[in-house]
Amino acid sequence: MSSRKLRMFVQVCLYFYCKCLWRCLKFVVRKLTGQCELQRICYNTKPGAARTMKIEASLKGSKSKRLQTSVSVHPDAIEKTIDDIMELKRINPDINPQLGVSLQACLLQIVGYRNLIAEVEKLRREPYDSENPQHEEMLLKLWKCLKPNSPLKARISKQWCEIGFQGDDPKTDFRGMGLLGLYNLAYFAEWDTEIAQQVLSDSLHPKYSQLSKAEWEKKKFDKAIGYSFAIVGINITDLAYNLLVSGALKTHFYNVAPEAPTLTHFQQTFCYLMHEFHKFWIEEDPLDIMEFNRVREKFHKQILKQLQNPEMALCPHFAASESLINM
Amino acid sequence: MGLLSILRKLKSAPDQEVRILLLGLDNAGKTTLLKQLASEDISHITPTQGFNIKSVQSQGFKLNVWDIGGQRKIRPYWRNYFENTDVLIYVIDSADRKRFEETGQELAELLDEEKLSGVPVLIFANKQDLLTAAPASEIAEGLNLHTIRDRVWQIQSCSALSGEGVQVRLWRSLAVPAGHL
Repeated sequence: MSSRKLRMFVQVCLYFYCKCLWRCLKFVVRKLTGQCELQRICYNTKPGAARTMKIEASLKGSKSKRLQTSVSVHPDAIEKTIDDIMELKRINPDINPQLGVSLQACLLQIVGYRNLIAEVEKLRREPYDSENPQHEEMLLKLWKCLKPNSPLKARISKQWCEIGFQGDDPKTDFRGMGLLGLYNLAYFAEWDTEIAQQVLSDSLHPKYSQLSKAEWEKKKFDKAIGYSFAIVGINITDLAYNLLVSGALKTHFYNVAPEAPTLTHFQQTFCYLMHEFHKFWIEEDPLDIMEFNRVREKFHKQILKQLQNPEMALCPHFAASESLINM
Repeated sequence: MGLLSILRKLKSAPDQEVRILLLGLDNAGKTTLLKQLASEDISHITPTQGFNIKSVQSQGFKLNVWDIGGQRKIRPYWRNYFENTDVLIYVIDSADRKRFEETGQELAELLDEEKLSGVPVLIFANKQDLLTAAPASEIAEGLNLHTIRDRVWQIQSCSALSGEGVQVRLWRSLAVPAGHL
């Protein structure tokens, strides 16, 4: 017990020692270069996740309350906040015109990411409501985009299973992901239609191309060789949501969003994850659907690892042509 | 398959381990029940593709709870998980009256399974928090539970959402079959 206390004491001392050392170092470097930490970051790191994450850490770790709270200001107050920071750090904006612009871009991303979490969380908490015409419309649009040549015969229909819902009414499948699951699926089907239809078709018989005819005939009776497209979409929504809330997606968004990341950015990330998961599933070649959670966990770890690289961006192919400011 | 080796490992561990199989139709509330048993957050549940498993410590027992997806497409896989089951928990959405017949059929088929013969069954009449939920007694009658003679069985009303009726009663039902574990 006492050795544990001692160890804790040493750790606490070490923490303060390091913090003190860090402050001293910053002070010395500041005196030597004539620049504060924010300036040094902006001048030495190229724009994108690497810079924005350093700025974010620097602001959060600052001893000034004004700087600490700057990461959670309202987007409209960002310009004023930049002015305050410049004044506080005694930086002359006329001599350093680029600094304000750079800081503003970073702060827009940092604040935008926080607001995106709030927006996504709100959608997730809103349950699917079949009395709400907007919800219904989006659900029917999902069907039309995925199955343009086979109209839905009734709102409550076994046909929903064809796109991977569990029963005859999708409303019970959204569960803990609420409207967010529907928004994501509908976006994927509408804006990345070709890939979505391809993934859906493959999910119904992913091994078809690799099997001999005889094997396929045998397998055909085994109805569960693929996975359920819509249900997997809702599970991948959960994965994307976790990446966002844990902060892992900062790398990606700070690299692709010129200013504040928006819901559209999140939905494009979802499209990318669906496509990548599908390829991953086929490569893993699982025995059957019962391996889903194992494969999903492995995929999650792989994405997390990729996002540790500050250069990483998860761009679906259709968004790749759009301007990636920082790449 | 990897699963079988895991099972063998579970069995070779010292006694007091209970293998619980959680089955029922999709949207019955199996995963919510599982998370509730493990005292985990239940606000992010998604439909189960495949299965979930959790180990829960309770009153000297180590409960290994297997929650298998209830989607029609997945039901053929249920049988892969029957072996060595100590307790079967069958979850019913008490408000989904349209599917009482379907859930009754699935349960009847399970009770006919050779690998599950004699395995005590606990039926959860879930979603009692909903106004439209049928009471446990009505479900018991609809499913002809009183005709079950070959095993210990019990029906409990509960709400996996609120946690009401989940913990306490599960343990009480376990106390009966514990004798022949």
